[in-house]
Amino acid sequence: MSTPPDREWKKGSAEMLVLSLIEGRPRHGYDLSKLIEVRSAGALRFHVTSLYPLLHRLERERLIEGRWVEKPDQRRRRYYRLTAQGKRTLRSRQKSWKDFVALVSRVMGVEHA
Amino acid sequence: MPDWRRVVRERLTPLGLDPTGDAELAEELANHLEDRYRELKRSGAEDEAAYHETVHELDDIGPLQADLKRNRHITGREPVTIGARTPGSFLDDSWRDLRYAIRTLRKSPLFVLVVVLILALGVGANTTVFTVINTLILNPLAVPTPSQLAAVATLEGDKPSASAALLLMSYPDLIDYRGGNDVFESLAGYSGPRIVICEIGRSPERMFAELVTGNYFSTLGLGPSAGRFFTPAEDGPPGAPALVVLNYNTWQTRFGGAAIIGTTLTINHISFTVVGVAPPRFIGVNAVFGPDMWIPAAMAERLLPTDMKGALSDRNKAAFRGVGRLKPELTISRAQAGLSVIASALAREYPDTNEGHSAAVRPIRDAMFASANSGSSPILFASAILMAVVGIVLLIACSNVANLLLSRSAARRQEMAVRLAIGAKRQTLVRQLLTESLCLALLGGAAGLLVGYLGLELLFSSLPGSANFVVPKFDTTVFAFALGISLVTGLVFGAMPAIKTSRVNVADALKEEARTTGRSRSRVNLTNALLVGQVAFSFLLLVLAALVVRSIQQAYDFDPGFEVAHLAVFMTNPGQAGYSTQQSKEYYDAVRGRVASLPGIRSVSWASNLPLWARTETGLEVEGHEPRSRADRVTTVLTIVDLDYFETSGVAIERGREFTNEDRDRSIPVAIVNEKMARDYWPDGDAVGKRIRLPDEKEMRQIVGIARVANYSTWGEAPQHCVYVPLTQVASDAMTLYVRSSADPELVMTQVEHEMNAASPQVSVGGSRTGRQIVDGGLFQAKVGVMLLSIFGALALGLASVGLCGILAYSVSQRTREIGLRMALGATEARVRGLVLREGMSLVAAGMLIGAVPALLAGRLLKSLLYGVGTSDPLSVGVAIVMLSMVGLIACYLPARWATRVDPLVALRQA
Repeated sequence: MSTPPDREWKKGSAEMLVLSLIEGRPRHGYDLSKLIEVRSAGALRFHVTSLYPLLHRLERERLIEGRWVEKPDQRRRRYYRLTAQGKRTLRSRQKSWKDFVALVSRVMGVEHA
Repeated sequence: MPDWRRVVRERLTPLGLDPTGDAELAEELANHLEDRYRELKRSGAEDEAAYHETVHELDDIGPLQADLKRNRHITGREPVTIGARTPGSFLDDSWRDLRYAIRTLRKSPLFVLVVVLILALGVGANTTVFTVINTLILNPLAVPTPSQLAAVATLEGDKPSASAALLLMSYPDLIDYRGGNDVFESLAGYSGPRIVICEIGRSPERMFAELVTGNYFSTLGLGPSAGRFFTPAEDGPPGAPALVVLNYNTWQTRFGGAAIIGTTLTINHISFTVVGVAPPRFIGVNAVFGPDMWIPAAMAERLLPTDMKGALSDRNKAAFRGVGRLKPELTISRAQAGLSVIASALAREYPDTNEGHSAAVRPIRDAMFASANSGSSPILFASAILMAVVGIVLLIACSNVANLLLSRSAARRQEMAVRLAIGAKRQTLVRQLLTESLCLALLGGAAGLLVGYLGLELLFSSLPGSANFVVPKFDTTVFAFALGISLVTGLVFGAMPAIKTSRVNVADALKEEARTTGRSRSRVNLTNALLVGQVAFSFLLLVLAALVVRSIQQAYDFDPGFEVAHLAVFMTNPGQAGYSTQQSKEYYDAVRGRVASLPGIRSVSWASNLPLWARTETGLEVEGHEPRSRADRVTTVLTIVDLDYFETSGVAIERGREFTNEDRDRSIPVAIVNEKMARDYWPDGDAVGKRIRLPDEKEMRQIVGIARVANYSTWGEAPQHCVYVPLTQVASDAMTLYVRSSADPELVMTQVEHEMNAASPQVSVGGSRTGRQIVDGGLFQAKVGVMLLSIFGALALGLASVGLCGILAYSVSQRTREIGLRMALGATEARVRGLVLREGMSLVAAGMLIGAVPALLAGRLLKSLLYGVGTSDPLSVGVAIVMLSMVGLIACYLPARWATRVDPLVALRQA
């Protein structure tokens, strides 16, 4: 298990994480926080008080779109999905992220396994 | 299970959650916490531990606080300042302006109604006139690509000149031009509408037929709406099958639109087979009046033996006009050059007939509008005048509405001041006020379209023989025009009041608070200026209307050289019934005898011309006056008349004698000329005894008398040459019976027709009318002009008086305090009334003074249309002054009376 990432790192990558996770299908807030926690093996966790402001900001920037969905015998939940603009933003962030990682790796002389 | 919503609300109290606005956020958070709690429980946590672990999530509310703040800043509902701009697109702003304008206008329905009515009259008048112009002048020919069409005609003179009148050409010339040119894709000929008798059922009806070459419809690029058109083979040698193509309107109105292809029609006693129907709205290459049917030119001589004798072979007999479709990318001038070459070749080959003539190629419009007598077109002139007149009506309407808006702006000073005070920009206010004006203008425009449509119906319901006349029609151009003038109108009448209103001084206006006293000096000046302008324009139109009304009166009093009263005429054409020359003569004698014996008939005679419908002929020879060229030939009206003609028609013989029974076939050929002819050709001596020769005759005719000059072709025309020859010496197979009765001619008309039918049932009688009806017909155009000018003059006067009344009433309401004070200080009712009357009438007087200048100028412009009235006719000007003063006085009197009803106590208490 790796050490928990720096707070600043988390802040910078949170957007990209959320965007990537709803790219495949719409998800609600709890689903998102759970996925991040599970996939990072507990290293990354978002509290409600920071996850929802992030979602709302992305919504204001029209990168994602929230919609209340009602299913039988369930509470209604707000699902978020990626907009076309969000898709484009995600692509460019992913690319620059990859470039950045490759660059840093090269500079630090880290070899691929 | 804890109530997570309550938990969220409690924990987030410091954030001041809005129970309605932030309910969704709270729900979302509660959902999240509940999910978390369930999960912890599932993984085995105790209730207490799971609760604390979950609530721990809400510990750091910093980011949430920032989020809420940002959210509220953007989407929160701030109180909207009226008139203030919030960031938004142009469309959003416009939409908001529009909604605001509609809300504002809905609050004052009476104001909207008055404005829309005024605009509807202005826009309606313009739409009516524009629709006519659009149909007549802008789109006169309902064919594909009319710009490729050119008119081909003959010109007097060797060189084509742009101003010379277009003349008819002979059929052989047309065929030579058609065969020899390399500039036209095709060149067709048409004769113009000719009267024929068509038997529908048992009753013969007068109709109009046009003779056309076989390629006429294909040259114009038309397709039939039923059946087919002629083939070139069907316009071959005389004796080709008798075929006819019907006018669509005629088919609809006279034949009920029934299946008609293949049926036969009897026209001038010849059976014709209907092969096709022309497309709707096509009335030939004619601007106003078209034929009921088209017939191949090959039928010319068989169909119209009198009219068209030799028309297909004789180069002297000009009866056709040409219309050609230019080859792609060929210009008119290139085509002109091409035909000029052919014309010179023809002049060399046929000097007798073609010398001194050339060919003209002109835009097709020229041929459609050029009238026979004058090169310039009266239609264009009349249209321009009408458009100017309705433009003035619209200007008056505009200034009226602008005044109403200005008055209203006084009532809205407070509103504007408040809006400015709480931060609205002036340009926003201007925009909003302009949006209101545009809304009003569009409403007015829509109502104006309706008024225009009704006006058109009214105007054209008065036209006779509707199948032959062009029918003005609303199309997209008309709608675009109405929309365009509505928008321009909205800007014109809206701009000034909008700018003025928005320039209100905030502090002053707010201080006025509920006091209704302030009369801005500049606003009053502007209002008065607009009013004076209205009066001036109304005065102009009134003077013009008075001038034309007077002119028509004078025209009826005018002496046309023949006696109008107690005269009736009846047209016949025994030639069309197949009568020989001898049979025709017998028929004329029989009719004269029968009708003369009727009671109440003073005298009876025959003449070849209908009064005011005579055509001129060229080629008369005057002994001792050899023409230097063919172009120098004498042009005269030539009338064949029977015995007693001069007595019956009332044309006086000044010298010499009338025709008598002694002037027979075998005696010396004789003629009577009019004074103008006598003066021009024998200025020194007596014309009686001198000799002339008619175009188609061999022998000289001796002049035996001189008749007074009369009007032959149009009412009030310039004197023309005229030659009369006796029916006893010259044959004619189409004549008009002149009957002079001792009482009202209407009373004897049926009897006369009965006697004519009794003399020969085969010969149909048509075009019966009284002398008065002939004059009415001759003055028809002028009367339409009078009608229109009177309507528009009345409209202008009405609009201006409503404006005057409204402005004065408003002025009185604004001066209530002043008037109250005056009355409290002892001013009598009469004095107060005088005060308001003086104010109003001084505006009227100023308007009349200013309007007098353009009225005099416009009178000069109309000079050519006026009969016997000077352009500055004092009576017309006087009538206009009196009318305007009277209406002005009434418009001022009402507000003046309201002024005297001011109660000094109430008025002063308002202060």
